[in-house]
Amino acid sequence: MGHNLFIQNALSPPILFFFLGAIAYALKSDFEIPSPLPKLFSLYLLLAIGFKGGIELQKSGFNYPVIPTVIAAILMSLLIPLICFVILRFKFDVFNAAAISAAYGSISAVTFITAESFLESQNIPFDGFMVGALALMESPAIIIGLLLVKFGAPKDRPIKKKMKWGSILHESMLNGSVYLLLGSLLIGFLTSAIDPSDIKKMEPFTGDLFYGAECFFLLDMGIVAAQRLARLNKTGAFLIMFSIFMPILNAVLGSVVAKFLNLDPGNALLFVVLCASASYLAVPTAMRMTVPEARPGYYISTTLGLTFPFNIIIGIPVYMGLVNTMIPQIG
Amino acid sequence: MKRLDLIFSERELDDVLSTLEKAEVPGYTVMKHATGRGPERVVTEDMEFTGFGSNAHVIIFCEQVTIDKIREDIKSVLSYYGGVAYVSEATPL
Repeated sequence: MGHNLFIQNALSPPILFFFLGAIAYALKSDFEIPSPLPKLFSLYLLLAIGFKGGIELQKSGFNYPVIPTVIAAILMSLLIPLICFVILRFKFDVFNAAAISAAYGSISAVTFITAESFLESQNIPFDGFMVGALALMESPAIIIGLLLVKFGAPKDRPIKKKMKWGSILHESMLNGSVYLLLGSLLIGFLTSAIDPSDIKKMEPFTGDLFYGAECFFLLDMGIVAAQRLARLNKTGAFLIMFSIFMPILNAVLGSVVAKFLNLDPGNALLFVVLCASASYLAVPTAMRMTVPEARPGYYISTTLGLTFPFNIIIGIPVYMGLVNTMIPQIG
Repeated sequence: MKRLDLIFSERELDDVLSTLEKAEVPGYTVMKHATGRGPERVVTEDMEFTGFGSNAHVIIFCEQVTIDKIREDIKSVLSYYGGVAYVSEATPL
């Protein structure tokens, strides 16, 4: 079962396109995607999953397990950075440990989208409210990371690098990806509630194009991940091990919580993926603004060069196996 | 006439430009998507989709008095986030 899931996942178009991008870099092909396009596609993907999630949320309403799951997701994004921080402090100073911890406490929307595609390919149902959990897991991890710096930083930190809470909250709550995701979720919810006929008009854009756009974006992500992977030798063995084992540990924690919440297998996998994934969008930008002492090479190369490809290629089928073991499917 | 070259992350572009506007510089040129390598980090276009990756290169031609007005504000941005600023002589053609 697990072996089959792994093969099916590895041979799915999004993952194959990811490999295509990575191989292009490895073979030094002159293939490249002009720089504004990946940004456009990342915004499109966020808009589409937000909109579709809002529609599903309106259909399912706020019955069990929506609220407990969202609360659990927020709690996990508060807890995971603390666990990461304890581990990372063995090797890193407060600034780098906090920045990396925040990245691992937060989420990767593209990993989530890839997990959704995986569930669709397996005909396993899942609910739209998980997009809400996705959007709400970005900010708490950033805030925890910054609190760790605030209380753990040396007392002689220059005054100009002391944090301004206004800008911290603004950056964590209103960074572009969270804003677009939550805004699209709300628009999808309102559209579904007020005039469902408008959903049909959006369908060619948010539905029909989605899978192709995901493949195209993953093609670029393959190139980016391969570039970052090539720079990982500068981060050291400890961080390389961390970026593989931490997602697995977080996935195990997530699956225990998912079982406790009595989630269906599809929602449980998405919950586990949210716990196991790491941010390379919102967190790096927030950390750079508020913790300039932390080295971006650490928290970007690990999240993008190792954790992201590990999760989408190996992690998702392994986590599905974990979920199936803990939460047997009905029927 | 002086030439001021500023190279810093695009994310700080608005802050820097508002400093230039306050000092009433006669004009400036902005080149986005600047990439390269500094002493501490490599800046490539591959992270541009995150809004994190690339630099901006701003060129200003102005008098010394204007440079004196913006010196501290620019240095404050660059010392916090990183980036470089150089002043050179400029002779009109």
